[in-house]
Amino acid sequence: MTALHRTEWRAVGTTCAAAVTAGQEDEREVAWALAAAQEEVAACERELSRFDPTSDLSRLNDADGRWVYVGSRLLEALCLALRAREETGGRFDPTVLPALAAAGYDRSFELLEERPAEEANGWRAGTAVELDERHGRARLEAGSAVDLGGIGKGYAAGRALAAMRAAAPTAGGGLVDLGGDIAVSGESPEGGPWLIAVADPRRVGETLAVLALEGGGVATSGRNARRFGPALSLHHLIDPETGESALGGPLTVTVAAPDPVAAEVNATTLAIAGPGEAADYVAARPHLSALYVPHAGPAIPLGRLPLVTERLVVRAAA
Amino acid sequence: MQRVWVVVLSVWAMLAIVAVLAWSSRPSQPLPAASAQTVIVKGHGGKQRLVVLKAPAHATTATSAAVHG
Repeated sequence: MTALHRTEWRAVGTTCAAAVTAGQEDEREVAWALAAAQEEVAACERELSRFDPTSDLSRLNDADGRWVYVGSRLLEALCLALRAREETGGRFDPTVLPALAAAGYDRSFELLEERPAEEANGWRAGTAVELDERHGRARLEAGSAVDLGGIGKGYAAGRALAAMRAAAPTAGGGLVDLGGDIAVSGESPEGGPWLIAVADPRRVGETLAVLALEGGGVATSGRNARRFGPALSLHHLIDPETGESALGGPLTVTVAAPDPVAAEVNATTLAIAGPGEAADYVAARPHLSALYVPHAGPAIPLGRLPLVTERLVVRAAA
Repeated sequence: MQRVWVVVLSVWAMLAIVAVLAWSSRPSQPLPAASAQTVIVKGHGGKQRLVVLKAPAHATTATSAAVHG
């Protein structure tokens, strides 16, 4: 009999979960798969976290323009982030870290102290990041620094899912959830697509919609959480055009995409876009769909959103 | 004769060890079968109706409360 085998743990500053669809007789394979997912997330965190001073990313950010040998995960994540910067016309930019730190988000969120935002002196968008894949090293323009917060969890979720598939090749399907950045493949234990609830940002604990995913990823970005600064007036979504916390944009936006990296990058990008701009953006990219939740008024589905129901769920009952 | 007894005792000892191991390492329990979930769906003109999903969602996407890399 096929069942869902699931484990939860804390990593990347949030609650993580991995789940495998497999039979009872596949107990050993399931254990390997779930352990492989946890190990892969830990490996990604060791290379990609900006809050760990010993991570590869921290060494790169501190190198003041020198070449730094880095791990293959950071090299690949940087490559994907630079490609995303190009594909989004600079609306997604991994080099916003100096502006983010100037705004006050200069340490792990739970350690932030209240202080007024500062000017990001000399910061400009789109600074140079050089990758030398042959020798496994990278270099940032002096004075520049990278934050992979808008791509790192999606990247880690995708890698963890691949590690699970390699450890349990006969499993029917798998799911990795890193604090709401979700990657799925194969079948759910019920034999169909994976059902992903979209949390209602206006009503804690309630569901806004349920998506049916047969593969790929889904991610949510927004300003309903992680606010900081005087009277919680600032948030972590930096507009690369201004170098400050973005003024426009939705309360939250959820993006479904063929892979979890695309889901997270585009959720980050749309989180600073107005509704018209977001609609045009998704219309130009048929592989994306989104649920745009403005600060007031009804949620707006964009693209071919794989909703389980034909209308948006407005309230989930027990 | 002594060798026969050694073999018999060895077999019994091995069976005992296997039994203890089998008893102590119980298989991980999969999650219990999920019950159906009822959701209220808003149609045109604000009209509401109930929809029963065959199973509750497997995961929830939301803005994470804290972030690392």
